[in-house]
Amino acid sequence: MDDLARLSITEASKKLASGEITSLDLVRACKKNIDARNAELNAYLEVFDDIEEQAKEADARRARGESHPLLGIPLAIKDNILIQGRRVSAASKMLENYTASYDATVIKKLKEAGAVFMGRTNLDEFAMGGSTENSAFGPTHNPHDEARVAGGSSGGSASAVAAGMALGALGTDTGGSIREPASFCGIVGLKPTYGAVSRHGLIAMGSSLDQAGPMVRTLEDAQLLFDTIRGRDPFDSTSINLRPTTYDLQPKRIGVPRHLLQKGIDEDVLRSFNASLDTLKAHGAEIVDIELPSAPLALAVYYIIMPAESSTNLARFDGVRYGLSLSGDSLVDDYAKTRAAGFGPEVRRRIMLGTYVLSAGYYDAYYGKATAARAKLREEYDDVLKSVDVIATPTVPSPAFKIGEKSDPLSMYLADIFTVTANLTGHPALSVPITPVMREGKDLPVGIQFTAAHGGEDMLFAAGKMVE
Amino acid sequence: MISKADIEKLAELSRLKLDENEIAGLEKDFSAILEYVGQVSAVTVDGSREAASQLHNVMRDDVAVQNAPGNTRESLLEAFPRREGDYDVVRQIIEK
Repeated sequence: MDDLARLSITEASKKLASGEITSLDLVRACKKNIDARNAELNAYLEVFDDIEEQAKEADARRARGESHPLLGIPLAIKDNILIQGRRVSAASKMLENYTASYDATVIKKLKEAGAVFMGRTNLDEFAMGGSTENSAFGPTHNPHDEARVAGGSSGGSASAVAAGMALGALGTDTGGSIREPASFCGIVGLKPTYGAVSRHGLIAMGSSLDQAGPMVRTLEDAQLLFDTIRGRDPFDSTSINLRPTTYDLQPKRIGVPRHLLQKGIDEDVLRSFNASLDTLKAHGAEIVDIELPSAPLALAVYYIIMPAESSTNLARFDGVRYGLSLSGDSLVDDYAKTRAAGFGPEVRRRIMLGTYVLSAGYYDAYYGKATAARAKLREEYDDVLKSVDVIATPTVPSPAFKIGEKSDPLSMYLADIFTVTANLTGHPALSVPITPVMREGKDLPVGIQFTAAHGGEDMLFAAGKMVE
Repeated sequence: MISKADIEKLAELSRLKLDENEIAGLEKDFSAILEYVGQVSAVTVDGSREAASQLHNVMRDDVAVQNAPGNTRESLLEAFPRREGDYDVVRQIIEK
């Protein structure tokens, strides 16, 4: 392969270990692709000016005898994850000039491993959206067709990995924000089990839903990155230690909720999905029909719980302690002016929606019902996952749509129909690229999504490898 | 389903200063979104489910810990929009 930036992390790691290449070679190869395409793709909001120094430091650590598989590997970091001393904006005017005062735990772990941070990648403002069109700093474009979205909210990370501007990336996923852009850009994306990865140092959106995870080119890379960033952290009380992942699993029974695939799915996507089920069968897996009676409600449940938690988390932005600060006629007016100017339209919409569903008189009808439905959904998934190893669906009902195509918020929300469930139930879920579909002469990536029992990431990797 | 006055009240509660255009737009968006999420009204709330919650409190010792190298205190002070010495200058809210 000519372009080193197109290697998988695992391949690059072997070449680094054998001395065939250096971290500096990898970083320069990624930088070349950035220089060629980032102006059009807008994947990175900032490329760090010390990437060569970081690479040289990694090469020096290797010369001193260190050998972590991520040592010297160039990674892209979604711009809602804190790196000490660097800016972190959440793609919002509210935090445009904010500098992180500490490292997120995931960053701390990656620094210990010796990864090189190439830069901060674009996202929907505060991770709210499925297309990265809600960024205050312009949309990210899809490397497979620049007229189309890269997906979101981790669209910058997905676009950067797909375009060879980094070997892998970190994203965050509250309702599909790792898996949907991974599907649209043709890469692998994992939303880990709730609590598997510490959220300390992530800019919070929906705290009962958020997880950080890898966005990479292969299943092996996903497992490597996941194993590096996971684990209990005293700074995140929701974090847990799961059993170590194993490498020798073989999914025997794969459940498909056919009742959810009857309408609203692009025909070509469905054909590609069915073909990958045939591949799974050819590998010896049994495909069985399953019923998830509450699943049709998942999206409605999500669009109650997520805005409720988002509006609560974003209440901290008051212009008093950090971030944008504008003056009005009174204290309340200071808040209202700062928040209206700092937050973009989608963030304002979700704050309003969250405030509504939590307000006296509506709480029981919306938030109370949604919480009950969420518990029921989790029970149904737990039950089904006793009889099958993984559940398979398309990741998204369609390939990447065009920039500006979805102008009303509800039609945008419907793209999340298959991904939100895993966030509501806490199960791990993975998107893996399958046969692309053709649109206007261009191959557009499609993903299959696998969901496993809590702590079943290794079963997901095993299922993914069967279609990879 | 939702009136302009409701949207204005929500904006006030949300501490967001919105213009007339946005209020009109939100009135429309909210009707569609609330109709969609209103599907949850069909769910029956079963009391036993709440009792079965797996959530529990996680406590830690009440001691100061350094969670990052360097002078993180100073970097927090630097983030103040209006700083005087080590103080964050805020608006006077109690008047004579």
